[in-house]
Amino acid sequence: MYEKILIPTDGSEVAENAVTHALDVAEKYGAEVHALYVIDVDAVDVSLGTEQVQRLKDGHFDEMPELQTEARDATGHVAEQGEGMGVEVVESVVAGQPHRQIGRYTEKNGMDLVVMGSAGRSGIRRALLGSVAERTLRTTRVPVMVVDIHEDDE
Amino acid sequence: MIEPVFLEYTNALDEGFKLVPALTIVGMMLLFLGIGFFFRVAAVDDLWVAGRSIGSIENGMAIGANWMSAASYLGVAALIATAGYYGVGFVVGWTTGYFILLIFMAAQFRRFGKYTAPDFVGDRFYSDRARGIAAFTTLVIALVYAIGQGSGMGLMAEYILGVSYEAGVIVFMAVTVAYVALSGMLGATKNMAIQYVILILAFLIGLYAVGLSQGWSTVLPYIEAGPETAQLIDAFHAEFAEPFAVNSFYMWTALVVSLILGTCGLPHVLVRFYTVDNERTARWSTVWGLFFICLLYWGTATYAVFGGLLYSDPVQDTDTAVTLGEADSFMQMPGADGDALVALTVQLADMPEWLVGLVAAGAVAAALATTAGLFISASSAAAHDIYTNLYKTDATQREQMIVGRTTILLIGVLTAIIALNPPALIGEMVAMSFAIAACVFFPVFFLGLWWENATQEGGIAGMLAGILISFGAIANDTAIPMYTGVEGAVSTELATIVPGLGSALVGVPVVFAVIIVVSLVTENPPEDVKRLVRQCHSPEPMEKLQSAEDAAADDD
Repeated sequence: MYEKILIPTDGSEVAENAVTHALDVAEKYGAEVHALYVIDVDAVDVSLGTEQVQRLKDGHFDEMPELQTEARDATGHVAEQGEGMGVEVVESVVAGQPHRQIGRYTEKNGMDLVVMGSAGRSGIRRALLGSVAERTLRTTRVPVMVVDIHEDDE
Repeated sequence: MIEPVFLEYTNALDEGFKLVPALTIVGMMLLFLGIGFFFRVAAVDDLWVAGRSIGSIENGMAIGANWMSAASYLGVAALIATAGYYGVGFVVGWTTGYFILLIFMAAQFRRFGKYTAPDFVGDRFYSDRARGIAAFTTLVIALVYAIGQGSGMGLMAEYILGVSYEAGVIVFMAVTVAYVALSGMLGATKNMAIQYVILILAFLIGLYAVGLSQGWSTVLPYIEAGPETAQLIDAFHAEFAEPFAVNSFYMWTALVVSLILGTCGLPHVLVRFYTVDNERTARWSTVWGLFFICLLYWGTATYAVFGGLLYSDPVQDTDTAVTLGEADSFMQMPGADGDALVALTVQLADMPEWLVGLVAAGAVAAALATTAGLFISASSAAAHDIYTNLYKTDATQREQMIVGRTTILLIGVLTAIIALNPPALIGEMVAMSFAIAACVFFPVFFLGLWWENATQEGGIAGMLAGILISFGAIANDTAIPMYTGVEGAVSTELATIVPGLGSALVGVPVVFAVIIVVSLVTENPPEDVKRLVRQCHSPEPMEKLQSAEDAAADDD
């Protein structure tokens, strides 16, 4: 059923919460897992500055070691866990708006399931950020499994 | 400062809602948003394939748009018209700084190649405390600078939308915050270049139209305004061209020095040099940037002359303070008229409404482009330098986004509140932020790049001294009198020697001395920091795309 599973991750607890679910599915189906880190250009814009977005667009990611480390740590974490379970993990880093890039990656690489976390934000934080999971649901055509961080609370 | 009080008379600018100018502004905003959106969805294809870089001309335009704010567009002409020779100091100060940047700093910053200005301070002075102070100063500079922009937006809103000044400030600030916080990517270099083209066209079309219609100038109004200047001096006001009639020689020098050194210490100006393709582009971008800036600055003096003549004797039958007999000459025009002078000149020359609207829209574009840059520098100081580097090192992108956007929101609200009742003219408000940048940042940037023995203690002591001098001077002659209602400065002697607008003349040498003395008596910086500094100004150009840190690491 599922041969290629995509796990978008930003290294946060929310994202990692979904990893176990994804790897479990992958193990059952013998699927290949792709761990994708999207450098969110909007986040770069307000945290590192607009000039840095230009730098990314110019293809100078090699000059941004801190961002590289952050991205590799996040995908590396998935790879490590996958290795422990005998699941093959491909690591990727792209830049753009997360939901669009997730959609693009899914199409380009023939992914057939996306497993991702959701923070379940509400109120002001939601107004400030929106939900990547929700937007991804709308931009991709393959099944999306959303793992809410609050699942244990209820 | 020169602000006579008029009780009945408010503003010569023809207020009331105007459809065409309002549509011009809305159209312009939509254009910016559209471009921002277009470049935002354009995907970043390959992160490791370089060679798509923008060139130095486009970069120069971005420097120009980022640089030229409501203070340049409106404020400089206002200051020249009301203070004559003294006001020309703003033109000198706001352009000369680029030479120092070009010679001593642009390429050197390119070699350092980090992300924000506090990054430089924090890494070079190997101290998180130094980074914290730098981030705090960045926030203050952004706030003070933005207040002037808010004030300019309010004035233009009065003219275009016919709303009160207060409503104008609030509406345009809200639009700016929404624009920056939600659209993002506003300052992408292409967008900045387009903003530059729009604002410079609006400014120059107004200038040429007035010059041609009045028969004052044809091709180059910059150099054709001589006879009008003479007329202005003879007929109306001799003080206009008399050096040091309005303010003393000392004050003029202090102001100019502050503006020059402040230019080299402004965080939102410097970060652009981190990211250009190579050192050569860094240098040529500076040259082009200066040229594009001068296209506007040369025009400000001409606007002041044309505006002064028209204010005394308008073509259109508008009442001005002079024609009503409330002021003896245009040099005593009320602050609000002065700050609106660029648009007012076009109106008084009896130009069609859409043209006045276009010029006003240009002012809004200028204010918007700069405010966006300032808000971004504030949000990165909060999200990257304070939150991520000092508080939570493993902060995710989403968390940084919350902090960044909240900062933009807060600083927008604070700016709007203070701009409702600005403590000084637009140009003066902005000059204060330059004085802060000059006293706090210029010495640590300059010595940080050029003197490898500057230590963390020296850097911190220097920045604290700079904060004390520049903030103290502003509190003394502007902030405390303004909010306590006391007339004049708290200490007149102090205000004469260290004016709030020009505290750098005294402040910068003092801060340099503090850094040098403290550095000499404290332990030398670690070897890797010294190597970093050497790399930044080594005569051997580094390989393209190699930043100083990599080069320093290669030496091991």
